[in-house]
Amino acid sequence: MEHLLETIGRNMFAIFGVMALGAAALMVAFRSAVHSVLAFLFAMLCIAGCFLALEAEFLGMAQILVYAGGIVVLFLFVVMLVEMSKKKEKEVFQLQSRYAVAAVLIGAAVFVGVFRKVIFGTASPEALVLRPELAEGLNVARQNAQAVSRSLFADYLLPFEILSVILLVALVGAVVLAKTERV
Amino acid sequence: MVSLNAVLLISFLLFSIGIIGVLIRRNALVILMCVELMLNAANLNFIAFARHSGSASGQAFALLVMGFAAAEVAVGLALVVALYRKRDTVQVDDINLLKG
Repeated sequence: MEHLLETIGRNMFAIFGVMALGAAALMVAFRSAVHSVLAFLFAMLCIAGCFLALEAEFLGMAQILVYAGGIVVLFLFVVMLVEMSKKKEKEVFQLQSRYAVAAVLIGAAVFVGVFRKVIFGTASPEALVLRPELAEGLNVARQNAQAVSRSLFADYLLPFEILSVILLVALVGAVVLAKTERV
Repeated sequence: MVSLNAVLLISFLLFSIGIIGVLIRRNALVILMCVELMLNAANLNFIAFARHSGSASGQAFALLVMGFAAAEVAVGLALVVALYRKRDTVQVDDINLLKG
């Protein structure tokens, strides 16, 4: 068991990379756009894992926040707006409500399983002590974030500022493009 | 220790899948997602080379690419919504306004 875990830990990049490739291939292959978005989400999470395996801790977290948290949700909104307005998809959705109930039940069971100690535990939990190897990992992550920010704000300040202007233009452009034409 | 070649191979394959998706899929939303995948493959390369050369510049640039990708998605999705309002479809085969 110990040996197996060690092997997995050493080949973390290969595992996440192959999973990302599989998810990307599924994203292209799926017929339904909703399934494509879900495969896209999985591929982005696997790529975040690759970043972590490559010792880019800050970027791995940023990847999860930006892609899984922002971009995938944006995609899902538009897919629901565009694809789900057809009648056929609505029927498919209602047929699957049984599975939705099962999924919610499984999710609740997993939640209780994970937070069993917090929910049913004793009133006075023991004090939180960080294990030394975990503290070491946190320190490495902090050093990575410091190195990235120093590089970003010292060497590449101009690209950073240009990017902020691009984001502003994209914001205004998206509002102009998507607004209805009742002017 | 991850070898540089392994990262480059994975990133190359991801980029190829993205290109294939852009070429064979007809849904504008899926095409946008494939473009995102290609940007991510480029990011993976940036990080691999940053690790190889021992400097943080590559990671800083990967962060910039991430912000750029977010801007691109915002504009792209706004275009898709505007197209859907006008033409009632997101299949790029049905959108041939420029064809004489």
